[in-house]
Amino acid sequence: MARADEAPRVSRRSALSWLLGTSLGATIIAALYPVFRFVIPPRVAEAPVNRVLAGKLSQLPDNSGKIFRFGAKPGIVIRTPAGDVRAFSAVCTHLNCTVQYRPDLQHIWCACHNGQYDLQGKNISGPPPKPLEAYKVAIVGDDIYVTKGA
Amino acid sequence: MSALDKLWQALDERLELEPIVEFIRHKVVPTHRHSWAYYFGGLTLFFFFVQVSTGILLLLYYRPTAEAAFESVQFIVTQVPFGWLVRSIHSWSANLMILSAFAHMFSVYFMGSYAKPRELTWWSGFALLGLAMGFGFSGYLLPWNTLSFFATQVGTDMVSKVPFAGAWLLKFLRGGSEVTGATLTRFFGFHVAVLPMLTSLLLGFHLALIQRQGMHVPASLEQESKRRKPIRFVPNFMMREGVVWLLGLAALAALAAFFPWDLGTKADPFGSAPAGIKPEWYFLFVFETLKLLPAHIFGIEGELIGLGAFAAGGLVWFLVPILDRGRPGGGRGRTFFVLGWLVLAYIVGFTFASFAGVFK
Amino acid sequence: MRCSTAVATLAIGLATAARAAAPAAHAAPAAPAGATADTCLSCHATLTDERLRKPAELAKSDIHLTQGITCAGCHGGDPAAADRAAAMDPRKGFVGVPAPRAIPELCGSCHSNAAYMLRYAPNIPTDQLSQYRTSKHGLALAKGSTDVAVCSSCHGAHGVRPPSDARSPVYPTRIVATCARCHADVALMNKYGIKGNEVAEYEKSVHYAALTQKNDLSAPTCKSCHGAHGATPPGVSSVANVCGTCHVIQLERFDQSPHKDAFAAIDQPACEACHSNHAIVHPQDSWIGVADKQVCAACHSAGDAGATAAGALSGALANAVAAEATVGARVARVKRAGMLMDAAEVKLQDAQQAYIMATVEIHTVTPARVEKQTAAAIADTVAADRDAAAAEREIRFRRTGLFISLAVIALAMVTLIFKIRSMER
Repeated sequence: MARADEAPRVSRRSALSWLLGTSLGATIIAALYPVFRFVIPPRVAEAPVNRVLAGKLSQLPDNSGKIFRFGAKPGIVIRTPAGDVRAFSAVCTHLNCTVQYRPDLQHIWCACHNGQYDLQGKNISGPPPKPLEAYKVAIVGDDIYVTKGA
Repeated sequence: MSALDKLWQALDERLELEPIVEFIRHKVVPTHRHSWAYYFGGLTLFFFFVQVSTGILLLLYYRPTAEAAFESVQFIVTQVPFGWLVRSIHSWSANLMILSAFAHMFSVYFMGSYAKPRELTWWSGFALLGLAMGFGFSGYLLPWNTLSFFATQVGTDMVSKVPFAGAWLLKFLRGGSEVTGATLTRFFGFHVAVLPMLTSLLLGFHLALIQRQGMHVPASLEQESKRRKPIRFVPNFMMREGVVWLLGLAALAALAAFFPWDLGTKADPFGSAPAGIKPEWYFLFVFETLKLLPAHIFGIEGELIGLGAFAAGGLVWFLVPILDRGRPGGGRGRTFFVLGWLVLAYIVGFTFASFAGVFK
Repeated sequence: MRCSTAVATLAIGLATAARAAAPAAHAAPAAPAGATADTCLSCHATLTDERLRKPAELAKSDIHLTQGITCAGCHGGDPAAADRAAAMDPRKGFVGVPAPRAIPELCGSCHSNAAYMLRYAPNIPTDQLSQYRTSKHGLALAKGSTDVAVCSSCHGAHGVRPPSDARSPVYPTRIVATCARCHADVALMNKYGIKGNEVAEYEKSVHYAALTQKNDLSAPTCKSCHGAHGATPPGVSSVANVCGTCHVIQLERFDQSPHKDAFAAIDQPACEACHSNHAIVHPQDSWIGVADKQVCAACHSAGDAGATAAGALSGALANAVAAEATVGARVARVKRAGMLMDAAEVKLQDAQQAYIMATVEIHTVTPARVEKQTAAAIADTVAADRDAAAAEREIRFRRTGLFISLAVIALAMVTLIFKIRSMER
């Protein structure tokens, strides 16, 4: 039987127990919440390795080009006047400017020093010392996938 | 009778659990002025659990190839929700685990707990420390960044100095004559399969021995522990250990907050080694000592002598339970007590001196 | 190596170099005579005198011999004759060693004959001889100099390989050394009013570095600016055109600049004024200005309009460079800390590109045009800096979150300690 002066002690004990349970529970939640978040992959479900969606075929008319990105590195996908789709690194081999497609020249062109590459990515005019690195193109339905280093 | 009691009864009938419960109920931990040292083993265990769980999480996204390893770690820390935290915790917990294992080892050593009948506990603990360092060494390479790549090159190169078996060992570790993607694949295998398996077995053995033999009380503290009331393992000691584990968790959170683990830059096997390559801190005393040795001592390669000395020192440390005959009046030998302090001073001194840049 | 020895490589076959000789008697040698035994080769190959044996050995890799043009095609004589005297009978057209002066005409007897050359290489040019006659080499030869380059000086006499063969002395990677055999000879060059340090200067240039370090075969060598067969220094008015064959945009910008007419008025060659001619090193932003050793100081001095413009130009570039360096370092630091900085890196690349465009616009010497590009570069760095700042905020936010969980853990610890105490009381 509890004496009258023990009542505050009991309530202090139960308060302590409550506090302990709550803080331990909060600690467990703080530890488990990141885990539950971690196991669900982000929208980009994979580590970027060497394959990206470069664009839509329907949005790439003949004799045009489009810049896409491998992470921070630009690539260029072009559609030749004959309708072929090709992809290259868009980093100019001269001073790393980003090249673009020039429909009027029907060439890949670098604005910095007028470097020109043909439709195979070969350096044909101006200062670029080397051809653009060629990528592999795979067309799935309307999607243009570009694979690096294959 | 509640459902829980029924379940218990059913299990007890089949498995005879009552003796185990009885054992736990009566298990006590002695108290004396150095009983704080009993918490380090449990703390090491806590960090080991953290390593296992965060390691499994990292496995969900990690890719063990030279082409994708760095990118996948980058993906984990930049894209996966809380990936930065999991990775940071895994790295920090690895270091704290080694640190607390060292603390555990030295506290056990100075209390002379290795002596008969606990030789097997000492030896299994010694092996566990070796495995933990193996975890550290193999795990260091996995992010495939410049620093880890070259540190692994230096580290594995030391193995080639081993007489007779050096060349074989080097090939075995590197999976070839150079550190390449093949090395990464191997180290990954060691890190997530071989070492965890060995560690689990040894750890189980180590813990079973402690349960069987109970905590050791040094001769000098026996009087005191008889005078003081031992505390019950459940719940008192466990709750105290809980405080220590929370402290470990807090340390991890604080370290992850203040010093998030760097990603570094992707390793380029054909690039030149960056200046100031260092192994993980717990290898520093070996690393710096080997660097201090002259190229040749009595016509033998200095590094070989150094490694031989470390091997001999390790052997002595391992054999302490046999070598230390103890004092006639009980208690451990003075020689080994002094030796322990010298070893501790040497390791701590060299590690700090290395961080302070004394050896530059 | 001295030039005279270079010329004499032709004469390596015979000791009697002084013998006068007429050009080969025939205008175009007979078509390949089939695989009849060639006594020139078989006999010379056995001789012990190396000078006489070597041509027979070298000839095996000679493009002419592989096409059926034998020794007699240039030297005359009768390769069918077994007897030595009969084989080298002047009456059968034997000329021995052709005199240097005779060589261009000798080679040209076939190489200028378009109908004849068509049989071997449909697209080979046949204007080498006429070009050569306009070259400094050809003009000096016509005036009687014998220590100038003739065909064989550069292409070799025996063992001639096509210029596309990497072993040919006129292959891009080897041509500089070939020209240097004479043009590095200061004494010989001084005779013709040339300094003789041109090759040494060229070897300091970005062009030489591109050729030798990047193995860029399209990098300009001596002949790219001076011409090959018609080798001559480009005149004041043509320097810009020569450089402009590759550096199109820079020339276009220069043509829009006030410098174009100003330089023309004082006979100042365009590109060379700032970039020099042979030792063309990588241009530095620090060149712009009127201080000592800065390029504008050649014409401008402090206080004039040019100096003001130069100050504006170098200021604009310096601002862009400084902004890129600061932000680049910040982005790199945040990236190392494990934040995704792809977007910022793309912006920094754009900034770098705008800066490169600015260095092209420098050729207009119009501050407004350069500043337009440097402003774009700085705008890109500002955008990248915003990304870096956002990433740093994210790091701080994470730290706050961890602090909160730290507080929760600490609370759990403290209450656990109190719980233990109250339990053990």
